[in-house]
Amino acid sequence: MISLFRSLMCLLLPVALLNAQAPASPKAPGKAKASKSARPVPAASSKGPETAQPKSLLKVNVTAQPYSLHFPWQKESPNNSRGLGVVLEGNRVLVTAQMVADATYIEMELPDTGQKIPAKVVAVDYEANLALIESALPEAMQKSFFAGLRPMGLDTGSRVGDSVSVWQAGRVGDLIETPLNVSKVLIRRYIVEGSSFLVYEATGIIRSEANSFTLPVIKGNKLVGLLLSYDSKNQVTTILPAPIIEHFLKDFADGGYEGFPGLGMEYQVTLDEQLREFLGLKPDAPGVFITGVIKNASAEKAGLKKGDILVSIDGNAIDARGDYRDPVYGALNASHLVRGRAYVGDKFELGVLRDGKPQTLSGTLARKKPEDYLVPPYAFDRGPRYVLMGGLLFQELSKPYLDAFGEQQSENASLLRLGHIAAHPDEIEASGRKKLVFLSMVLPTPSAQGYDRLGGIIVNKVNGHAIGDLNDLDAAFKDVKGAAHAIELDDFPRVLHLDAMAAERDNLRLQGGAYRIPALKRLE
Amino acid sequence: MRMKIRPFLLLLPLFLAGAPYLTAQQDGAAATAESTTPPEWEGIVNIDVSVLMPDFREPWNAGQPSGGSGTGFLIGKNRFMTNAHVVSNATRILIRTSNDPEPHPARIVHIAHDCDLALIEAEDASHFEKLQPLTFGGIPRLNTEVIAIGYPIGGERVSVTRGVVSRIDFRPYSHTNVDSHLCIQVDAAINPGNSGGPVVQDGKVVGVAFQGFSGRVAQNVGYMIPVPVVKRFLKDVEDGRYDHYVDLAVSDFPVENPAQRKALGLETDGIGVMVGDVEPAGSVGDLLKPGDVILAIDGNPVLNNGLVRIEGDLVDMNEIVERKYAGDSIQLRWARQGKVETSTVKLKRFTPYVKLGAQYNQRPRYLVYSGLVFQPLDRNLMDAHQIRDSSVNYFFERYLTDKLYVERPEPVVLTTVLPDAATTWLTPYAHSLVDEINGVKIRSLEDVKTALADKNKAFVEIRLHEKTRPLILKRDLADAAHPRIMQTYNIQEDSYLGQE
Repeated sequence: MISLFRSLMCLLLPVALLNAQAPASPKAPGKAKASKSARPVPAASSKGPETAQPKSLLKVNVTAQPYSLHFPWQKESPNNSRGLGVVLEGNRVLVTAQMVADATYIEMELPDTGQKIPAKVVAVDYEANLALIESALPEAMQKSFFAGLRPMGLDTGSRVGDSVSVWQAGRVGDLIETPLNVSKVLIRRYIVEGSSFLVYEATGIIRSEANSFTLPVIKGNKLVGLLLSYDSKNQVTTILPAPIIEHFLKDFADGGYEGFPGLGMEYQVTLDEQLREFLGLKPDAPGVFITGVIKNASAEKAGLKKGDILVSIDGNAIDARGDYRDPVYGALNASHLVRGRAYVGDKFELGVLRDGKPQTLSGTLARKKPEDYLVPPYAFDRGPRYVLMGGLLFQELSKPYLDAFGEQQSENASLLRLGHIAAHPDEIEASGRKKLVFLSMVLPTPSAQGYDRLGGIIVNKVNGHAIGDLNDLDAAFKDVKGAAHAIELDDFPRVLHLDAMAAERDNLRLQGGAYRIPALKRLE
Repeated sequence: MRMKIRPFLLLLPLFLAGAPYLTAQQDGAAATAESTTPPEWEGIVNIDVSVLMPDFREPWNAGQPSGGSGTGFLIGKNRFMTNAHVVSNATRILIRTSNDPEPHPARIVHIAHDCDLALIEAEDASHFEKLQPLTFGGIPRLNTEVIAIGYPIGGERVSVTRGVVSRIDFRPYSHTNVDSHLCIQVDAAINPGNSGGPVVQDGKVVGVAFQGFSGRVAQNVGYMIPVPVVKRFLKDVEDGRYDHYVDLAVSDFPVENPAQRKALGLETDGIGVMVGDVEPAGSVGDLLKPGDVILAIDGNPVLNNGLVRIEGDLVDMNEIVERKYAGDSIQLRWARQGKVETSTVKLKRFTPYVKLGAQYNQRPRYLVYSGLVFQPLDRNLMDAHQIRDSSVNYFFERYLTDKLYVERPEPVVLTTVLPDAATTWLTPYAHSLVDEINGVKIRSLEDVKTALADKNKAFVEIRLHEKTRPLILKRDLADAAHPRIMQTYNIQEDSYLGQE
C-alpha cells in the first residue's frame, strides 16, 4: 500500500507545465533563423528600396522561471521566449498571458534598430490569455523608444470567410505578412482549465521567423487577434479574437480589473428524443439538461440546480445543443453570452424548466477566482504554499500539481484519490475545508524516520485541530500536546507522530545542510 | 495471504500459452533398459492443455481457443500435481510421460488459484499404476543445490537444470496478481513449460517451479512454490473441497519512528507493529482499528517491522495465518493506546480482494437489455474492455482502500451500448458504473435483473455513478428493440447470471 509516489515525482520534475499545455507556446530560446534564401518576399518590397516597417509592433523577449511544484522552495530552470507585442494607446503593449507567466525579466525591443528597454506587467488574465505590459523605465527615458511607434486599433468585426494576415518582423524590422482565411468561429478552451472563449479558426501556412508563434493577426492595419496556436500538420491556426481583447481592455480601462464572468455550470445536450420525452420537453422546445452547478458561482447563487432545463440566457433561446443564435457568427455555444459579452456585476436572467414548470432565475454575474476553488485550477507568478515540519512536506492540492504527473495520475492510488477529489470537490467543500492539505512527500530526517516512503495523503487533523488550509496546519503545529505532534491522515497509515523537539532540530538542519531550504513555510 | 494491490507486471507465469505442442514420438525403442531417463523421474509428465479463454468483451461468446504445455508430477495414486495456471480455462488436458508416446486424457480434481496449485488425475488410471510417485522434502537451506525437472521450451523430452537456492521470501504470486505467499528463488534455469514441474533435492521434491522474470528484467531468477504452501493445499483439499486461504485483512505499518513508538505505547524492545488499515469484512474487522498495535500472533512476538521468527528465520507475520485453514483460530495479543488485550480470532476468507485479481475457469456473467450490456466489475472486465473512464477506474482502484465493497458487493458496469435506433444516443455512456435502475439501487448483477423486471413504468431510468444525466429508454421501444438487437448482434442468450 505504500506507494511509489516519491520516486514518481523525481522522474517528473522536468515537466514545464505551461509549455506542456499549450502547443503554440513559444519555448525555444531565440535562435532566430537567418536563412535568407527561404525568406518570403516582404509584402511591400515592390515599392522600392525602403522596406515597410510594422509601426505598431514590438519584439517582446521574456525570461520566465516557474516555481517547482514538487519542491516548492525552489524554482525551475529559467526559460526564454519571444514574440511580437502590439502597441496600444498609452504606450502599453499587448501580448498573450502565456508569454509573461512566471516572468523574471521582460524586455521590449524595436524591430528595426534593436533598441531594448525593460518592461513590466500591468494587467494579466490567464483565463483569457491576455496581458498588457509597459516600460519599466521612467517616462522621460522611454520617450525616444516609443517615438516611431503608432498605437494600433482593434477590428472586432471579423467573421467566417474574412482574409486576414499574420504579421512578423524580419531580421531588420521589415514586415513579413502571411495571409490566412478565417474558416470557423467557435468556443474553445484557451490554456488553463475553465477558459473556454471565442476563437477564430483560420487556415494557411505560417513560417515562423523567430521560432515564435506569439504573433498578431491583422486586417487593414487593425488588430483582429493574437495567434493562439498553430498546427503545422493541418495548417490550422486558432486566433484569440479582438472581441475578447476588447473586453479585456475595457475591463482594465475602468480601473480595477475584474476578469471575465462565468455562470459556473455544466450541461448535457437534449437531442435524445427518449430523454426529451422523459423530461417533458416538446419535440422542438429549446433547452439543455443541467448536470452540474459549481458551488458559490453565479448560477448557483441565482438558484440553478442539477436536473434543471436551461432554456434561455437573457432572453436568448438555448437550443438542444446548447447553442444560441449569434447575429454575427450564427449558432454559437451559449457560454459566449456570459463569458465573452457580459461583465462582472452585470445582471443576468436564466429561463429554466423545473419539474416541467417555467421559472426565471436572476442574479448578478461574478467571477470565481482560481484561489476561490478548493483545488485551484491554475496558479502563476507566485510560489506554491507549503509547510515543512521535520522533513514532512505539506502542500495544498492544485490542478497544476496533479497535471505535472501526467499519465501516472491514473496509475498511482494516492494520486488517483487526489485527482478524484479535484474532479468532485463538492463533498469536501461542504465539510468546510478551504483547501485540501496533504502530505506531499517526506525528506529523510531523523525525526521522520520510517515515514520517508509516504506521500499523497490528505491531512485531516493535527494535534487535534481540524485542518482547513495550510494556515490551520501552521497554527496547529504550534499547539503540540505533550512531546510529539499527532498527524491524522485520511488514508493508510492514518496516524503519524513526530517528536516536537527532534522536528525543530531537523527544521534547522533542513535550512542549512544539504537541502539549503530558504524557508520552512510559504503562507502568503 | 496478504493483499498486494500493486500488480507485479514483470513477473510471468511460466506456462507458455500457444507453445508448440509436444509431438508424440512414435519411437518403439522407448522405455527400454537403455532409457536415459531415470525410472524415479517417470512420474514427471508433460501436460498438454487446450484452453478456451473466456471473452469478457463479448460475454455471450464462448471465447478464444488456444493451448500450451506445462509439467506435472505424480504424488500419489493417480494424482498429479501441477500449477493452477497450467490447467486454467482448460477444455482438454492430456498427460504424456517421457517414455510413453500415448496421450492420456486427464481432468482437474482440485484447483487453487490463490496459490497457483492444482491436482489432476488421468481419466484412465491404469497407465500410471506402475509409476513411482515423488515424495516431498522440506524447505531447503540457502546455497544448497537443487535441480528443476520438466518440459520447458527448447525441446520435447524431459529437461533437467541445476542451481542453488538463492532466497526464501514472501512474494506475490503472479497467477492472480493479488496473492502473496512464501516463495523460494533458485538460480536453476526455469523456463516457460517448466511450470508445475518439481524442483528436487536429494531425491525429494522441495518445490513446484511456477514463475520467473523475463530475461529482459533479470537473469537466473526463477521461483518455486515451497513445500509448506504445497502441503497446505493438499491438507485443505483432504475433505474434498478447497476452502482457500484465510486472511487477517489488515495492512501493517512498520514502527520505525521513536515518537510513533512512544505514542503507540510500545516498549523499546522492538515488539509491536502498527495497524494502518483494517478491512471491515475481514477476520478482525470488528476487533482492530487503525492505530492499534499487534504484539503477538499465536504467542510469536511480532517485531516493529511486522516480521515474526519461525523456525529460526524472520518471516512476515502473515506467514502464521498462511498456515491456517478456514475456521481455524489464532490468538492475537494487541494493544490500543497502551492497553494490552488478548483475543481469539476465528479466521475467514476475505473475498472482496478477489475481484482485483485475475479470475479463471469462470464463464463471464452478464445481462443484455435492449442493447445495453451490464457486467460485474472485476479485473477481467477492466482488462477486456480497457476501461479508461475516470469514475470506474477510481472505483476499481479504490475498491478496497475506500471500503466500497461494503455498499456494493458486486458493482455493475454498463460495458457496451450496442447501436440501434433505440440506443443511438446512449452509446457515449458505455463504461459507466450503474448506481440505480428504476429506483432500485444496484448492488449486484442480480439487482439489474430485478429492476428491469418491473414493467409498470413507461420509462426505464438508469442512473450512472458520478454522471447526472440519466439514461432513458422508453419501455415499449426498448422491449421491441431487445429481440432485434439480440438477433442483429448474434447474442444467443440475453443473460448469464451464474449457476444457482
